[in-house]
Amino acid sequence: MLSTLSDLTLMAPELWLAAMACVVLVADVYAGGGRGTVAYLLAQLALLGGMWLLLADAVPAPEALFGGAFLRDPLADVLKAAVLVLTVAVFAYARGYLQGRGLDRGEYYVLGLFGVLGMMVLISAGNLLTLYLGLELLALSLYAMVALHRDSLEASEAAMKYFVLGALASGMMLYGISLLYGVTGSLALDVVARAAAADASDPVMLLALAFVIVGVAFKLGAVPFHMWIPDVYHGAPAAVALYVGAAPKIAGFALAMRLLVEGLGGLQAEWADMLVVLAVLSIAIGNVVAIAQTNIKRMLGYSTISHIGFLLLGLIAGTRDGYGAAMFYALTYALMAAGAFGVVAIMSRRSEAELLDDYRGLNARNPWLAFMMLILMFSMAGVPPTVGFYAKLTVLKAVIDVGALWLAVVAVAFSIVGAFYYLRVVKLMYFDEPPEEAAVRAGLQAGTVLSANGLAVLGLGLLPGALLALCLQVVG
Amino acid sequence: MVPLSHYLILSAVLFCIAVAGVFLNRKNVIVLLMAIELMLLAVNTNFVAFSRYLGDTTGQVFVFFVLTVAAAEAAIGLAILVVLFRNRRSINVDDLDRMKG
Amino acid sequence: MALTFQQFLFYAFAAVLVGAALGVITARNPVHSVLYLVLAFFTSAALWLLMEAEFLALTLVLVYVGAVMVLFLFVVMMLDIDLAALRAGFTRYLPLGLVVAALIVWEMASVLGPARFGPGRVAAPAPHGAGYSNTKALGETLYTQHLYAFEVAALILLVAIVAAIALTLRRRPDTRRQDPARQVRVRRRDRVRLVRMAPERRPAPAASEPGGRTGTEEA
Repeated sequence: MLSTLSDLTLMAPELWLAAMACVVLVADVYAGGGRGTVAYLLAQLALLGGMWLLLADAVPAPEALFGGAFLRDPLADVLKAAVLVLTVAVFAYARGYLQGRGLDRGEYYVLGLFGVLGMMVLISAGNLLTLYLGLELLALSLYAMVALHRDSLEASEAAMKYFVLGALASGMMLYGISLLYGVTGSLALDVVARAAAADASDPVMLLALAFVIVGVAFKLGAVPFHMWIPDVYHGAPAAVALYVGAAPKIAGFALAMRLLVEGLGGLQAEWADMLVVLAVLSIAIGNVVAIAQTNIKRMLGYSTISHIGFLLLGLIAGTRDGYGAAMFYALTYALMAAGAFGVVAIMSRRSEAELLDDYRGLNARNPWLAFMMLILMFSMAGVPPTVGFYAKLTVLKAVIDVGALWLAVVAVAFSIVGAFYYLRVVKLMYFDEPPEEAAVRAGLQAGTVLSANGLAVLGLGLLPGALLALCLQVVG
Repeated sequence: MVPLSHYLILSAVLFCIAVAGVFLNRKNVIVLLMAIELMLLAVNTNFVAFSRYLGDTTGQVFVFFVLTVAAAEAAIGLAILVVLFRNRRSINVDDLDRMKG
Repeated sequence: MALTFQQFLFYAFAAVLVGAALGVITARNPVHSVLYLVLAFFTSAALWLLMEAEFLALTLVLVYVGAVMVLFLFVVMMLDIDLAALRAGFTRYLPLGLVVAALIVWEMASVLGPARFGPGRVAAPAPHGAGYSNTKALGETLYTQHLYAFEVAALILLVAIVAAIALTLRRRPDTRRQDPARQVRVRRRDRVRLVRMAPERRPAPAASEPGGRTGTEEA
């Protein structure tokens, strides 16, 4: 319950973003001629303002609003800050693409802002109801964004598949939530956590857990609930694939954290057993199938699946180190994915450059862009000294610490297989002849953001201590 | 009085019919959307039953929100369906095969 | 054991509900599917009434049957679906799928069955008194405890509006439409021009037709 109005300052970033999303919606209608420009600038203002409100008032200890429905803790602050920063970068990459392809409409930014709001609601969820609503706010925005290129057959097909599978997963998860409510008599995550810890062997609880896991696995894109990822990344316009591929992974981590760790922590042994299967399958299938791809967006889709497998390994460990490692993995992977899709979006401005062959000889056409892509591919493959190496290392260390050496061995073996397709992109860029000579221009804005993004991947790999310490501190 | 287990089993049956509908239907996307509505109906029946037998209105409030979200979902799903139909003149599930790999 | 009236109603509605659900997924004509779904919603509303969730039961009929199902029907009829192609048979996986579904039902029922939620384990609640208002009870929690969720739900509906319009609204160049803003902005001089003319003498009846036309066009 609200005691005073001043408590609302705790949710100032959300209120600001909600208000700004509506402002963008209206301003876009009246802006007329300039089409996307006004919406773009206002959307960036909304994100930066939200960032400022969030950091100006960062909370040292957990605080709750609305009887625990809204939770503001250091974990939420860090995840929300990451979502906001990544979305600023995503919008900057997307802008040139949208202009070049005649898709520069305000709706992209409006739906993008509502998606960010959904992620923030999800990250701050203190009960199952707000968790579900945050998830749906995000998902509905994403379905619509994928279909935003209305004349594209691939995009509408991808949107339809994404919608049907997503709604199916939501339904499964809701069924699990309804059973949880029936067994525990409450929607509050802390009450559910107490009940789960008290009676971990209740078969109804386990049935509920199975359904909930399906929902979480789908949102993250773990095998065998991964079918939507390659199709959505392939079919959606590059600017949308970019959005789907980056920040929502952090939201997926938050979902797993709130629901499985905080809500069902008492059943850790049970859900870890289920996640082991998903993680091994994801790492194996993601890495192997990615090799066969000729489309770079589809390849990055399968690569996402394998990275999700690694993220799950951290959760499987079930220790504070494991959760911290998983969070570090989620944040850095989202950063890498934003960069890699950013390069795809920059390349695709004039016509869709989604085949691997389109990247041949990129070094000759734009050396800096090729160098950034090189860092990002090395990082995804886990080559030191990039951050991808360090993220994999901390996750594996957490798994080995709990005695699951075989899991670490399997993960390493398949990521060596996976290194092949990342390095193939590097080989194409540096050692093949370019199909055309025309230079690729990134533009000042996207170029600056991409440079910051690529250098952050390198810098965090050299000095990972601060971010890792922060992750460990906030999950504890 | 009807015991709680009756309602739960009824909604489990409904839920399984809906899931079977999603997986078995290879012909028509709009029937998939209807199967999903059916699934949410099963979930809602669960919530109403638990809410009644726990003597707690929270479950009914959840149903209220599920109905809201489901209506929004149906609107977006049908919009995507219309876009798809305009592009390919078919809503046959087997025709959704442009992307492979 | 003799059935009480409530139990009789439960079994009757449950049977209709399961039949309607099977109809939704097996009917070949999508219009029939929609109508089966409407039946399923009506029957569920009756079951919810048995559980004294009056407000939700009525909402289900008004919102779902009244709005969402009509939207479904509208789309089914708007899309010119080739029924002959849809008639090509259900699926070859049907028998296997039904067996798997039956097994899953059996497993779920064994978990959720009388051993755990039967009359012996979960006491039947006392019926509410005549003065009880389900709507009031829901409203009291909805606008206090769940205010935050209520606001988020409003945003979800806004997203649905934005998305549905962004995806389906097409401006065709050949449609004729009124633009209220232009209608309001219009000034007298845009539409009426006063022309000073010399008075005309009524011409001879034989040449009257063409001359009359020109006069009206200029005014």
